[in-house]
Amino acid sequence: MPLLEVNDLKTYFRTDDGVVRAVDGVSFTVDKGQTLGIVGESGSGKSVTCLTIMGLNNRRAASSSGQALWKGEDLLTASSRRLRELRGHEIAMIFQDPMTSLNPVHKIGDQLAEAMRLHDDVSKATARARALELLKAVGIPRAERRLDDYPHQFSGGMRQRVMIAMALINNPDLLIADEPTTALDVTTQAQILALIERLQEEFGSAVIMITHDLGVVAEIADDVVVMYAAEIAEKAPVDEIFKRPHHPYTWGLMGSLPRLDADVDRLVQIQGQPPSLLRPPSGCRFHPRCPYVMPVCREQDPELLQVPDVPGHFQACHLDEETKNREAAKLLAGMMAEAS
Amino acid sequence: MTVQAEAAADAPLDLRGDELLVVENLKKHFPITRGIMFQKQIASVRAVDGVTFSVREGETLGVVGESGCGKSTMARCILKLLEPTGGSIKFRGHDITRLSRTEMRPFRREMMMIFQDPYASLNPRKRVGFIVAEALQVHKLGTEAEIKRRVQELLQVVGLNPEHYNRFPHEFSGGQRQRIGVARALAVNPKLIVCDEPVSALDVSVQAQILNLLKDLQRDFGLTYVFIAHDLNVVRHISDRVMVMYLGQIVEQADRTGLYTEPKHPYTGALLSAVPVPDPAVGRNRKRLVLEGDVPSPINPPSACRFHPRCPRFVEGHCDVEEPALIRRGSAPNHVAKCHYPLERWPMSEDEMRRVGAASRAAASTASAS
Repeated sequence: MPLLEVNDLKTYFRTDDGVVRAVDGVSFTVDKGQTLGIVGESGSGKSVTCLTIMGLNNRRAASSSGQALWKGEDLLTASSRRLRELRGHEIAMIFQDPMTSLNPVHKIGDQLAEAMRLHDDVSKATARARALELLKAVGIPRAERRLDDYPHQFSGGMRQRVMIAMALINNPDLLIADEPTTALDVTTQAQILALIERLQEEFGSAVIMITHDLGVVAEIADDVVVMYAAEIAEKAPVDEIFKRPHHPYTWGLMGSLPRLDADVDRLVQIQGQPPSLLRPPSGCRFHPRCPYVMPVCREQDPELLQVPDVPGHFQACHLDEETKNREAAKLLAGMMAEAS
Repeated sequence: MTVQAEAAADAPLDLRGDELLVVENLKKHFPITRGIMFQKQIASVRAVDGVTFSVREGETLGVVGESGCGKSTMARCILKLLEPTGGSIKFRGHDITRLSRTEMRPFRREMMMIFQDPYASLNPRKRVGFIVAEALQVHKLGTEAEIKRRVQELLQVVGLNPEHYNRFPHEFSGGQRQRIGVARALAVNPKLIVCDEPVSALDVSVQAQILNLLKDLQRDFGLTYVFIAHDLNVVRHISDRVMVMYLGQIVEQADRTGLYTEPKHPYTGALLSAVPVPDPAVGRNRKRLVLEGDVPSPINPPSACRFHPRCPRFVEGHCDVEEPALIRRGSAPNHVAKCHYPLERWPMSEDEMRRVGAASRAAASTASAS
């Protein structure tokens, strides 16, 4: 049984302008010790997917359907009380913005200890000792003294480490990291990624890494889900997706990356803007921006189908297999030629 | 003592005569004061501390560095949005360092800026047409009708619909707003545009659109860019020359290819090795050089070489005592680095980097023991 199994997850928000379909039929699984990367632009539904799994959406405005099975137990129908037990204990989350996700009026040590004492009946001293241990594990210098510091006394990278320490304090089975490095410098990003990898080896946790950086995905993910306009465009093991990307949107993402190892005069750009989820385009949601658009794309929403003979690689595009292989090969050959 | 002779001075600026901008020994210190009635200066933040460089007409100079290294302060000083504490700035051969606001005015229309945050840099209560036209009106460039025609033309140039003239900024997406920012900067036909992290707030697909747009505009209008970013991939893509800053100083400067294929300063090496590679085959097997700690405070920067507390090649008794000069280090004549122990080759593993430090340390300790 996978650790987490998400089936046909849908989350709709009611707004004054109409219903926003923020997540529209998303399915994936996460196994023990596995790292899943979810890639997509802002507004593609990456974060809402994870917030729905954690039960953190505003219950009044959002309605969800489908299943999110955590060790066989459906999180979508679980009681708030049960969710509170799981959150921060078995499933932990690191949020994108380390500047705003810590409480500014409490000491770091107290905030860490609170996260532990909520779930385990331990003494304050034990919790404090554990907080200290975690601060050391995430590489905060002079951790003993910093336990009594307030969040504003830490830099961005340090605060993100504190967030990671807090997420890990109860040894969660699943860590959901929502763009944990987006607000940080490359050097700090490298520190944080190395830290997540090391802790994952040590504790055997599974990780869902939400990011828009294909570089980050390539470095730490085992499997990749590419999301576009609330749907999954492509899903595959990481080597497969970089070797044989099947969806024009994935090609666009790869082509639009300026790279250290390749000189390109012009970047391949995806035309236009991501669509509004209030009124998503008909048929394939990518069709207004797709250079390969065919009449069928405007009418029929492609299903997420397995690529013939490649288990684990799924894609949602009407183009025939031959064209896809040819175009993907062309794209990658282009990158290689530039790299050499 | 050859080392000391070397350390005496930075390599002089190699001027060719077609420089649009020449910046020499630029300094910007922000005072820290105490007291209410009698404000006494107790320290200063040395945000930019002796920066010398030049930008030729039509080229793009990339500036990289971590947050807090002084890149944005430097940009604002170049445009005289901040008054420099010391040094000189020459634009088209005119020294503009000490010019008053009115004296600056004729230069203002030749140097423009594109800002980082397209959500904060456009006045939400003004229409797009007004935002783009404002500079034209300030400099009295044309009649009302001419200005309107020019603005619509500009919107077209940056890839927006000219009919959106009367819309407000909130009606546009992030990428479109950044296009408005570009149109505003272009309005008065500037020679120099300083771009301060123009794409870091945008999604990758939109980022590619803006980078392509900036390149096209440079080709069509012969623009000169100073392009500031913390994303090394982006800087490599757009720049002709790149300069790396650390704690208010330049630590390395070279042609794009030189800097990315044979970095000399350990800090540049660390930055390059920290960039994730979008290729699992390469990314997995690569050993990242992880820099410890954060950028130190510019109030009280480390002695001598400012990078020494974080440097894998740190040699005690040398790097923390004697400040290295910014001198020629690479194979190209304009490749300069500020380091006593530049990298011999690239790529280099973390162990190899450390080895030099360890070897020199051992040599130093045996020398002192004997």
